[in-house]
Formats: sequence, C-alpha cells, structure tokens
Amino acid sequence: MAQIKLDIFRFDEATDTVPHRDIVEVDIPETTTVLDALEYAKAEVDGSISFRRSCRSAICGSCSMNINGVTGLACKTPCNTVMDDEGVVKVDPMPNFQPMKDMVVHMDPFWDKYARLKPYLQAKDKDSDHATERRVSPEDMKKLVDVANCIMCATCYALCPVVSVDPAFAGPAAIAYAYRFIEDVRDAKRTERIAQISEDYLWLCAHCYACSYCPKHVDPNDRIIDVKRAAINDKVMLDERGPRHALVVAKTIKQTGMLAETEVILGTVGRFNVRGLLKVTPLALRMVARGKLTPVEMAVGGTAPMLGLASMKPIPKVNEVRTIFESLEVPV
Amino acid sequence: MSTTILPEDRPLASHKSTRSRETKRYGFFPGCVAKESCKELFNSTMLLADKLGIELIELTAASCCGASVVNDVNRDVARVLNARTYAQAEALGLDDVITICSTCTGHMRAANKELLESEERMDQANAILGKFGAKYHGEVVVRHLLWMLIDDIGLDNLRSMVVRPLNGLKVAPFYGCHIIRPESVNGWESARNPHSLEDVIEAIGGEAVDYAGKTRCCGFHIQLEKDNVASSMVGQNMRMAKDSGAEAVITPCPLCHLALDGYQQDAAARWGRTDLPTFHLPQLVAFALGVPPEKLGLNKHLIDPRAIMVERELIS
Ligand code: SF4
Ligand code: SF4
Ligand code: SF4
Ligand code: SF4
Ligand code: FES
Repeated sequence: MAQIKLDIFRFDEATDTVPHRDIVEVDIPETTTVLDALEYAKAEVDGSISFRRSCRSAICGSCSMNINGVTGLACKTPCNTVMDDEGVVKVDPMPNFQPMKDMVVHMDPFWDKYARLKPYLQAKDKDSDHATERRVSPEDMKKLVDVANCIMCATCYALCPVVSVDPAFAGPAAIAYAYRFIEDVRDAKRTERIAQISEDYLWLCAHCYACSYCPKHVDPNDRIIDVKRAAINDKVMLDERGPRHALVVAKTIKQTGMLAETEVILGTVGRFNVRGLLKVTPLALRMVARGKLTPVEMAVGGTAPMLGLASMKPIPKVNEVRTIFESLEVPV
Repeated sequence: MSTTILPEDRPLASHKSTRSRETKRYGFFPGCVAKESCKELFNSTMLLADKLGIELIELTAASCCGASVVNDVNRDVARVLNARTYAQAEALGLDDVITICSTCTGHMRAANKELLESEERMDQANAILGKFGAKYHGEVVVRHLLWMLIDDIGLDNLRSMVVRPLNGLKVAPFYGCHIIRPESVNGWESARNPHSLEDVIEAIGGEAVDYAGKTRCCGFHIQLEKDNVASSMVGQNMRMAKDSGAEAVITPCPLCHLALDGYQQDAAARWGRTDLPTFHLPQLVAFALGVPPEKLGLNKHLIDPRAIMVERELIS
C-alpha cells in the first residue's frame, strides 16, 4: 500500500467561473491505475469528482486525461509510472478541449470532425442484393487493421500542437480515420474523401509526431503521410500550398541534391502570387539585413527559378541522385 | 552534478561504440539549412570541433536527407537517398555520422532503421545504388552532435573545458520534434522528459529553464502552408519560456532556429512580445569553450543575442 496524493482539477461550468484544485489522499497499491485511484477517491472521499470511464481496459476510449502533464488513458497508466517523489499524481482534463466538469470535456469539435468524414463504408456495389459478401484480400485488409483499432479517445487530438492554435485543423484521429476509408478497396468515395480531408487542412499537419503517443498504436502521424501520398498519387487538389511544397522540395532535391530554400518558397507560395510573396518578403528582407541570405542569393534564387533554371549549385555526383529518383519513378 | 538518465533499453544504434568514436574522426552531415540560411551554425560547429579535438569530415557529396516532406511524395526515395549518404561515409571508413539538425537526425535515423530492419528494403536500396557502383553495408550510426557531446566527450570533460562560463544565464532548451520523436526511431533519451540540453546548459555554466514548450513543435514545416498558424506555435512556446524566466533559448535544430528567431515578431500580436534570442547548440558551447564570439555569427540572428550577453557580462 502506498499513499497517493491525487491533485485534481475541479471545475463545474454550471457554477464556476474559475477552476480550483483538490488534493485527495488515497491508500492504495502504487501499481493501481490512475483511473482506479480516481474511482477510489470518488467512492470513498468525494462523490462529486467527475470523469468519464467505462471499460477500464483501454477499449472504450472514455478516460483520456492529462496526467502529470502527459495526456493518455487513465486506465492504462499505473500511478507508479507517473507519480513524483511525494506520490503526487496531478490530473487535468485533456488540453485542446473546453472543460465541462472536472476531467469531463466537451467532445463536440472532435466528433464534428469525424462526422464530416462520413465515417462509414460507402460501398462500390451499393445496389447489390447482399447475397455475396464483399471480399477483401488479406494484403488489402492489412493496411486497415491498425487504424481500425482507433478507440476515439482523442488523446492524439489533445496532444496536437496545430489543433491548439488552429481549431479548423481536422486533427490526427480524423485524418487517420479518413485513411481507413480511403484505403478500403470496397469504398467508392476515395477521391471525394481525399478532397474533403484536404479541405479540412490535411496539409497543415506539422510533422511533429506528438500523436505517435496513441495508446492503440494507430500512429496517426504515419497515416497522415499515407493520405498525403494518396492525394499526390491520385492528383487530388494538388494546386494548394501543401502539395506544391512537397513536390517542389522533391524537385529541387532531384535537380541539385539539396533543398534550395528560395526556390521552395517560390514554388510553394506560387511565383506569380504577389500578395503571398509580399507576406513572405519582410522575413526574407530581415534575413538579408542580417546577412542570413545575401541579396545576390535572394535575387538569384528569386529570378533563376522564374527562368526555369536551378538556382543552387548541384552537389557532386548529382546524377546519382537523379538515378535514384528515376529508378523509383518519383513523379517530379 | 546532473547526469542524463538514459533509458536502459534505448536502441543500440543510438549509442553503440563506433570506430569513429575511437579515432575521433566522424562523418559529418551538416544538412541544407546549415549550408544555406544558417551558415553561422556550420561555422560554429567546425570551430567547436577544433576545441573538442575531434575531426568532422564533411560528406560533401551527400544529398538532402529528404526532410520530412519527401515522404509525402514517395515512400522509398528518402530512404534510398540516405542509403547513398551512408555508403559514402562507409567508403571513407567512417561509421558514425554526426548531424546538427533535429530533422536530419530523425529522418536519417528513420531511414537507417528501415534499411537495417528489412532485408528487402536494403536490397532495393542497394540495387539502385549498384547502378552507380555504390553499396551500403549497414554499418553506419547516425547521431546528433548533442548526443555525441554527452556520450563521447562526456559532461564532466565538457565542464572542465569551459573557459567562459555562462554566469547563470537563464537558457530555455528547445529540443524540436525530430531529435526526440518518435521514440521508436530516436529513443536516445525520453521524449517526454528529455534532459540532455539541460545537462549541457548546466555544464557550460548556464541555468536551464523548465517549461512545457520545450518538447513541442515550432511549426517550421507549415510556415508556408498557413504562416499565422506556424508563428502562433512559436509564440505559444516562447511565451511559456519567457514566463518561466528564460533570457535566451538554445536549440539543436536550425529549422527550429529559423522559426524561433524569425517568427517571434509576427507572433507578438497574439502572444505578446517575447524577443528571446535563440542560440544554436554549437554556438553557445563553442562560446563557453573559448571560441571568440565574433567568429560565431551572432550578428546573423534576427533577434540579436549580444544584448543579453553584454548585460550578463559575457561579452563587452
Ligand atoms: S488515433 Fe489513437 S489516440 Fe487518436 S483517437 Fe484513435 S486511439 Fe485515440
Ligand atoms: S504529427 Fe501532425 S497531426 Fe500529429 S500531433 Fe503533430 S501536427 Fe498534429
Ligand atoms: S532536414 Fe533540412 S537541413 Fe536537414 S538535410 Fe534535410 S532539408 Fe536539409
Ligand atoms: S520543432 Fe519544428 S522544425 Fe524543429 S524539428 Fe520539430 S517540426 Fe521540425
Ligand atoms: S476506461 Fe475505457 S479506455 Fe479507459
């Protein structure tokens, strides 16, 4: 038995304007999960402590919360893996959500982003008489099993730094779930789905891998890259900054072996997009002022690509790089 | 004395001893940004290497690592590009490639992991490399300079080399994502509670500032996608650093540097002015080890770090 001090975020949107904290001490084995510790506190000390839970075994996706600064499933987190030297376990609601009561948050933005995906099979053989089953080969199914494990706990969404500054971003779980249907061979709406998720800022993912802490190993970070590749492969909504950026980076690497910064900026923003370029220019000018870019580099970088020339000196043996691109049939 | 607690089960490829470690001759992959808009990073790294008594042999024919975007276009190309770089290192007799960019570290390690874990992928890469007579034998370890400082030079040793301690300058570590995440690729230290930058800051006489933003993303890779989002990510993190008392920031990643140094101004409207000068890791270490400050390119930063250095009587 150990003494665990639960340091609990308390807030009730119906009555409170600001949150406060309660410390509840419980005598339980230190290997108890944070969820069971909270259950104990609720049963024995204060029945008003609120949190969502159901399965207690990482299946239902209800109990994600912030535990000592780290968001994850309370039912999958033993106290002794998180408590500090004084046995304190600090629990807060998931970040990136509006708190409702204690650890219970308003999940609506998360569900809304799911709903926009039409997260159900829109089958190719819709009019079939259902006499035959829709068969999927094991290889095709293999692509889907991991994402199908998503329990919609929103841990990844709470961890996502882009969601934290721009709530319009679909977020990791929704994009991973879009992948689940985009790569389903039975689904008829692949193109529409890619277009929809592109509109919901697929390309705004910052590649930060914060969502790699998914408790069910869905790895939304990698599924996001898969969806982007599907968009490029199928040529869906490519005239946007995100895909243009990826393609121009690949192209400059093929041409010079290196990532040519100025060319990438022009290629991404659009070389005839004067307004867009003017927005980038102050930073470029600041950089020139500090000698980070020389005026010559800026001018050469700025005009050479307009003339269709590569602006950077290629690396030695750049032909080898081109051989790699050609052997793999990279579409640039 | 603080020491970095390293996970017992960290992947061998992040710390196994290499020939380079014995000969103090390392392969060096500076990456594009250190050769383009962050030349001061490249220069300070070379000056630091002199002070440390190690030789960094630049892989001059190496290509870009593919950054984090080339994967968006093709699943294999970044892996094969990096296999080419590793083959070049091996041909020079080097089995340890040092990087100075978090993004290079993460992506080059990911490529190496894929190659080492799958014969099929290694064969695919070597089939292409074979077209120009190259072959990767799988001997290379990719590490960030930060890890090399701690594993090969050692914190105590580093501390003993300091001639210009930082006088307790309050420095906020900013790791950047790809040197810590995903842990399956990096794993040299805990990604949720890393300590290496703090240890280096303290070894060179600074005071490490703790703040939640230190392991968060700077938004670099979406600057061109939606710049107000990217600058807001910078502002949010720098706000946390400033509120925790930071006087400056240190980062092992030139992309983070471009973001933090370049975008605090634009983020001020939403997050308030922060104006934290940002050092490249090798810049500040080289300074503490006695490299003359005028050689470190401090004047290249948009937020000039020299003001706080004068205030703290580090330079005159
Ligand atoms: S992807 Fe993972 S973390 Fe995100 S909601 Fe699904 S199970 Fe939870
Ligand atoms: S990798 Fe992308 S989706 Fe995942 S947390 Fe980072 S920004 Fe969000
Ligand atoms: S990550 Fe960046 S700096 Fe590193 S090689 Fe690639 S593009 Fe260049
Ligand atoms: S913080 Fe940003 S730029 Fe730095 S490594 Fe992460 S994603 Fe890349
Ligand atoms: S209670 Fe169901 S996932 Fe934790």
